[in-house]
Amino acid sequence: MVQVGLLAPPGALVDTRHEYDHLFSIYVPIAVAVFALVVLAIGFAVLRYSRRAPSQAARWHEHNRLEGGYALALALVVVFLLYLTFSAEHRVDTVAAHERPALTVDVTGAKWEWQFYYPAYGITARSGTVGRQPLVVPVGEAIRFNVSTIDVIHAFWIPQLRYKRDLIPGTTESATLLFDRAGSFPGQCAEFCGLRHADMVFTVRAVNPAQFAAWARAGGKGVPS
Amino acid sequence: MTTAAPAVHGPTRIPGVLGALTSTDHKRIGLNLGLLSLVFFLVGGLFALLMRAQIAQPDVQFVSDQTYSQLFTMHGSTMIYLFVTPMALAMALYLVPLQIGAVSLAGPRLALIGFWIWLSGGLVMQSGWLTGDGAGRDGWFAYEPLANGTNTPGVGQDMWVIGVMLAALGMTAMAACVAATIARRRAPGMALLRMPVFTWTALVSVLMVVASFPVLILAMSLMYIDRHGGHIFSGFNGAIDYQDLFWFFGHPVVYVMFFPYLGAAAEVVAVCSHKRWFGHTAFVASIMAFAALSMSVWAHHMFTTGGVTNQYFAFTSTALVVPAGIEYFDMVGTMVGGSIVLRTSMLFALMFFIQFLIGGLSGIFLASPVLDYHVEDSYVVIAHFHYTLFAGSVFGFFAGVYHWFPKVTGAHLRDSWGRIHLVLLAVGTNLTFFPMFFLGQDGMPRRISRYPAHPGWGTLNLLESIGAGIIALGVLSFLVNVVVSLRRRQPAGDDPWQGHTLEWATSSPPPAYNFELPLPPIRSYAPLLDRRHEQLDRAGASP
Repeated sequence: MVQVGLLAPPGALVDTRHEYDHLFSIYVPIAVAVFALVVLAIGFAVLRYSRRAPSQAARWHEHNRLEGGYALALALVVVFLLYLTFSAEHRVDTVAAHERPALTVDVTGAKWEWQFYYPAYGITARSGTVGRQPLVVPVGEAIRFNVSTIDVIHAFWIPQLRYKRDLIPGTTESATLLFDRAGSFPGQCAEFCGLRHADMVFTVRAVNPAQFAAWARAGGKGVPS
Repeated sequence: MTTAAPAVHGPTRIPGVLGALTSTDHKRIGLNLGLLSLVFFLVGGLFALLMRAQIAQPDVQFVSDQTYSQLFTMHGSTMIYLFVTPMALAMALYLVPLQIGAVSLAGPRLALIGFWIWLSGGLVMQSGWLTGDGAGRDGWFAYEPLANGTNTPGVGQDMWVIGVMLAALGMTAMAACVAATIARRRAPGMALLRMPVFTWTALVSVLMVVASFPVLILAMSLMYIDRHGGHIFSGFNGAIDYQDLFWFFGHPVVYVMFFPYLGAAAEVVAVCSHKRWFGHTAFVASIMAFAALSMSVWAHHMFTTGGVTNQYFAFTSTALVVPAGIEYFDMVGTMVGGSIVLRTSMLFALMFFIQFLIGGLSGIFLASPVLDYHVEDSYVVIAHFHYTLFAGSVFGFFAGVYHWFPKVTGAHLRDSWGRIHLVLLAVGTNLTFFPMFFLGQDGMPRRISRYPAHPGWGTLNLLESIGAGIIALGVLSFLVNVVVSLRRRQPAGDDPWQGHTLEWATSSPPPAYNFELPLPPIRSYAPLLDRRHEQLDRAGASP
């Protein structure tokens, strides 16, 4: 079956990286084309209309119907972009929130450390200025992160997933994320949070579910290889 | 230059520096504001160079983390509150009364007071460097609760808060005077739709200042109380409330930092094409839509907070494509069929449109929440807003400077230095800011003073730092140009470019009260071009 290409297949877990890359791959060629078109138009005008006597300059200066049509065309582009964006946003924000997570991790930010607490296993890992314990997660499963902060605003950013969420004082926000491959991925606080903001980093260790289960059974000791 | 005849109701003139600093002549206020903004531009640029030195390579410590946070805070604050915004107002103060055929500004004393309040704000903000804990260090938007008295104690941050408050208050006063001048002082025949493009961009800008800056003053007042035991923002949702207040100012202001420079570039394109600006009515409608939309997009800065309605703000932000597209259409429409002269001002104006386009197009990405979830607070955002706020102001500003310098001083700027200036600035801008798109995409967050040696990061950052140095050389070549051009003057005459608008119908520099000769009839937004066309037609009719 031919896939229309705008939406991910139904039923699959929401993959933020896929949603981002897909949207990005449509936005980029449009932006590049518009840029090229404008530069070409300017270049054409400069080449074609310099070296004429000022008295030869045309005097027409308005074409409201043309501009109206042009504005309408732009509005259609806006509608198209918003359709793409809203479809993706619906999946990332709403569909993902309704997934049944295989794992829940409570993420707490503090100046300048991350605490990852696994309520199902009673495991706590810390990273940042206090240490470098990784955030261990299983590959291919929906993971619910409940993010909160005990002091200022931080932001939980995993560039590999193309996703971040702010940690706002007084509230707990949730994000349901999926790691589609095993590996080590850097994570970092993205919202300036004071003196040692640059050191508020962590590493995600994505392993296959069996390895994760073994690691969790062992009480989170060591780093699964 | 002819000496001005004594004005009938001339004010008591105080000679010398004191006179220049206390003058209520809109041109003097505009010049003073512009010159001091330029000084702040150099100061803010110095902060940027120090930052670029710190992050030129991974894992080095050239300045301390504490100093680095002060540098990026004061770089942003200086550029936004003390250079780009006031410079836009300075151009409006100088040019708007001339363009609409007014003899003076409405509320000149208020404008003068506004200038002094703004300057006091700038000096208070910079004085933070002299305090024990240093200058402001929470970024130019100083989010709560980071900026409260517990997390950022100290006098330096207080001075930042008061400095921002005063600068905003002063700019609000000056903007109100420009708005009142347009409302009340237009010459007979100068209907609203006959106002030149620059004046229209200035009008929507000052209206946005008047509507949004009081919210910043309020936010800063609340922050000051909060910092001193008031705990305003520590209640439920306080962090989000502060962001709503701040960005209600913070987004409109980025358009205040764009529109007048767009207007300047538009005037230059029209004059250098010997053709009036294309689609004036559509342009006016689009710029008003632009301004209205830009006051309703603020929470796109907050997509990742979970505290706002993302779809609404994605809609308003993406819809900006329509008015922005109209402006580009009108720019090309002006050149087509014209007689284009590639003066330095024209080259800067065309570069303005090309460079801003990169910022605008990347802005469409940021308007999409899904894309923003990744790139928010990363170097992609830094790249985006330097293409809009730096390139999208400074290239238009310099286009305006090369265009109006002869009007303000009576002398030409040198073209040779101007071309050097343009090339250095264009190369430096792209070398500095384009690699940031890749760094941000690859996961480099903004405002980190150190970063590990990820593959490619060191190289890209080094390129950016070299680019920043080239920008500095470009600015230096401009300063040299100004000095050379004022020392060995090449007289320009009253109307060296065959201008379209009324400021070219008076002497250079214009006298006190602006016009000594009767104004030409005003039948369109390009009255001097009308007059030239009439002369051509008359010559054609009777050869």
